[in-house]
Amino acid sequence: MPATTQSLSERFDPKTLAALEGLDFKARYVMEGYLTGLHDSPFHGFSVEFSDYRNYQPGDDLRRLDWRLFARSDRLCIKRYMQETNARFYVVCDTSASMQYRGGGAWGSKLECARILAAALTWFLLKQNDAAGMVTLGGPAAVPEFIRPSQRPNQFGVMLRQLEHLDAAGGPRLSLLIQHTLRLVHRRSIILFFSDLLEPSEEVVTGFKQLRFHGHEVIVFQVLDSDELYFPFSEPRVFEDVETGARRVVNPALARASYLQRFKAFMAAYHDLFQTLEIPHCVARTDENPLQALALFLAERKRLK
Amino acid sequence: MPFSFLNPWFWLAALAVAAPIWLHLRRKQQTNLVLFSTLRFLDDQPTPRQGPLRLRDLLLFALRVLGLVLVIGAFAWPYWRGANTEPVQESRVYILDNTLSHQANNGFARDRDRILADLDRAGAQIQTAVIELTSAPRVLVSFGEDRETARHKLLALQPSFQRGPYLAAFRQANSLLANSLGARRRIVLLGDNQENQWNENANTPPFLRNIQVDLPTPAARALPNVSLSDPRAQRIYLGDKSFVNFTAKLTHSGDAKSADVVLRANGQVIFNRSVDLDQQPGRILLQAQWEADPATWVRGELIADAAPDALPADNRLFFCLAPVVEGKVALLAQSPYLRLALSPEIMRGQWSARLLEPSKLEAEVAAGEDADVLCLESNYLPSSDARKLVARYLSGGRGVLLLINRVTPAIRGCLRELGFEAEGVVEAPKDNPEKFQFVFSNHPIFHPFLSPDYGNLMDVRIYKHVRLRSAQAMPLAFSENGAPLFFEGAKSPGKLFVAAFGMDRDQTSWPIDQTFVPFLDLALQAARSEDPTPINFEPAEICILPLPIGSQAREVVVRDDHRELVRTTVDQGKAQLRLPEQPGIYSLTYDDQSEVRRLFSVNPSSKESQLSFVDNPEALSLWRTASPPDPGRTPPPSPLGRVRLAGILRQRFWWWMVMGGLAALLLEMALAETRKVQA
Repeated sequence: MPATTQSLSERFDPKTLAALEGLDFKARYVMEGYLTGLHDSPFHGFSVEFSDYRNYQPGDDLRRLDWRLFARSDRLCIKRYMQETNARFYVVCDTSASMQYRGGGAWGSKLECARILAAALTWFLLKQNDAAGMVTLGGPAAVPEFIRPSQRPNQFGVMLRQLEHLDAAGGPRLSLLIQHTLRLVHRRSIILFFSDLLEPSEEVVTGFKQLRFHGHEVIVFQVLDSDELYFPFSEPRVFEDVETGARRVVNPALARASYLQRFKAFMAAYHDLFQTLEIPHCVARTDENPLQALALFLAERKRLK
Repeated sequence: MPFSFLNPWFWLAALAVAAPIWLHLRRKQQTNLVLFSTLRFLDDQPTPRQGPLRLRDLLLFALRVLGLVLVIGAFAWPYWRGANTEPVQESRVYILDNTLSHQANNGFARDRDRILADLDRAGAQIQTAVIELTSAPRVLVSFGEDRETARHKLLALQPSFQRGPYLAAFRQANSLLANSLGARRRIVLLGDNQENQWNENANTPPFLRNIQVDLPTPAARALPNVSLSDPRAQRIYLGDKSFVNFTAKLTHSGDAKSADVVLRANGQVIFNRSVDLDQQPGRILLQAQWEADPATWVRGELIADAAPDALPADNRLFFCLAPVVEGKVALLAQSPYLRLALSPEIMRGQWSARLLEPSKLEAEVAAGEDADVLCLESNYLPSSDARKLVARYLSGGRGVLLLINRVTPAIRGCLRELGFEAEGVVEAPKDNPEKFQFVFSNHPIFHPFLSPDYGNLMDVRIYKHVRLRSAQAMPLAFSENGAPLFFEGAKSPGKLFVAAFGMDRDQTSWPIDQTFVPFLDLALQAARSEDPTPINFEPAEICILPLPIGSQAREVVVRDDHRELVRTTVDQGKAQLRLPEQPGIYSLTYDDQSEVRRLFSVNPSSKESQLSFVDNPEALSLWRTASPPDPGRTPPPSPLGRVRLAGILRQRFWWWMVMGGLAALLLEMALAETRKVQA
């Protein structure tokens, strides 16, 4: 497991990512776009893959008139092509203080895990000629930071630098992040969402529904620590919420059962929600290799497709 | 140093104590608090009171208790009413004079026994320290040391032959008392109150504040003593024979009628005779001459026995003399007397002269083969080649003997460059010529003439000389009228001697005088560049020894006849040596070689032989700032609250307990961490 003191660039090992090359990341929904990509587009335009004919109408571009057909059948038809579009991806990363948590068995914090997942996916998507952008909230004041999607060669560096500068601080801000994403992302896009989803707010649920309503494809990567999954504490301790600062005296031996029960219910609620909204949901753990989890996720998607 | 919060050691110690405690407490606080990502799945569950508390880790508990007990004990230690923590009423520092003069009448041993007796008598209310006064005073016993250690240290002391200042010892005692516990502070000087030892630093500003000083009362104002000092050995040549000329001073005071003097050199008794001291001046110059091989070192000793003598330790004197290396002199002079005096018939084995041809000076300048000394007359100075030669000799650290037999404007200009102003020629009447009247007799050139064997300089007549003036050169001989006749220049690296006259019969009668050849030899020897390091030292003196150029030695070793005494490394061609403490003759060798490179003689300072004493030294009244407290009045016992922190910090047990407590806490931390990892 890589050391936590490494920078993101050092973590980003191309050899590991080479394992992802055999997988693709086709969107389940047809995307609109102009550039050539792997995603089917309902819009016919400039491409090399023939689709069908339609009758010529005044005003059509004469360059698209099929002269051979006119010679054979004396009909004026316009050739139509199936356009393969490129997709716009947005990396949306939660930077609330709970993402800073790092359990005893973890190799890094949840935010570090999210950074690596986001960087790997960005590299992967840019490699298949898709445009990648980012929406995050920076600093204690939760100022929205937006990177416009692009395919430029330096886009990966821009994204990596932004990911490295992410700092988990402040209180709950997941719902705010979703609202800013809705405001900033206009065209239908694929939104890769990285969060622990621990914010207890109805607005979060509403926000996911709104994202889907706006036609975005959302993929949620839920990053969790094994401490949160299993609550392995034994001694009576004072627990402090890193986001709110509230403290509770807890005897873990007594509280573990109820904790696990509630956590399971919490996960089940999100599972149901994402199933209803047709949002893929991937759980990544900070005590495991996130790239392996990503590879499994992509392989599973390909198999289902 | 008095205790102060500005003392950096205090802050360092406070930091050292506070750091592990803070770390320990911080860790305890951290281990109880868990920063968790969310509390939404947790309820507040106050820890229910369990049954009686149980110890789960006895070792950890024991370490914590031990650490706390030791730390608390350390801070409570000075307040315990025990034998060692009884309030100290008096802090006393003994200054034990271990200089040579204090050996008189067995004074050193007597005072050492007195300290031992005082140590046995002193209870816990008196804390005691001892300073040994030698050339570098040192704290022999500090306040914290136990009595048995102090006894051993005192009994191991041997009488020394060194000389040391009272001032340094008093300063050290003052600094010890500044950090002492006692309400009353006292310095007890156990010495001989030697007068010259008090007078050396009489004008030092005051520094003894509220300190009582006990001085010894000398048995007498002066003691009888016979001593030897100032050994000087030189080689002289008479014909083909080489002689050693030795002088020393025999000083006597008291009722001694005669002294048996024995002089030995290289295992041979030179003389053994009785010297009559009755009705003689207090200082007698002893002189001896004997034939010696010029190629070998001369090592000898002079012993004088007399009675009554309070200080026999200064009756023995050691000396040594380096072998002669034949010198080279380049002669540019017309004087037939100079040529004759420097001829092999007269100066064989001493000087080898090379006559320079005036017409071949250019070749001489180009050749660059310089002799040790250049001897020239001023009438050659207008030649540019001669001037170049003079400048090269002087800048190269060699010697020049310049005889001004003539003065012209050109010569005046040359002399100005050398730092001399020629103001004209003085011709004395034939019937009343000038002669030497005042001579710098301590200078190596003229000192041997104190002995009548070399002849009398006063017999030399000067008929004509040049009136010279110089702001930089030092005149060594004057005429009856006060005119300087012989100078030593100090402007250049090389040595320059200037005579205000030439060695011709129309200018002086010196060339036909008995003193001429010895003078010429001594002047050339003084002008010759030689090792400036003296070979006679005082006991325990520190000297910087320059090694010859090109020497590859890494270490120099000082030995006596039997064993190696000092070994020191050579740094940048120099070695710093601390000479042995015992008088004697010591040899110097390089690295592990056995070849003797140099001999040293170590003799005690002649000042230590002056056994005159004072009752109430004036210096002491100047050193004190206020009157000391009345010794008859017993100070009130120190209340607990007045135990000074400086005193606490000086207690050895206190430090041991603090260190033990901290060690226990550190061990506890490590153990707790290990247990945590295991869990």
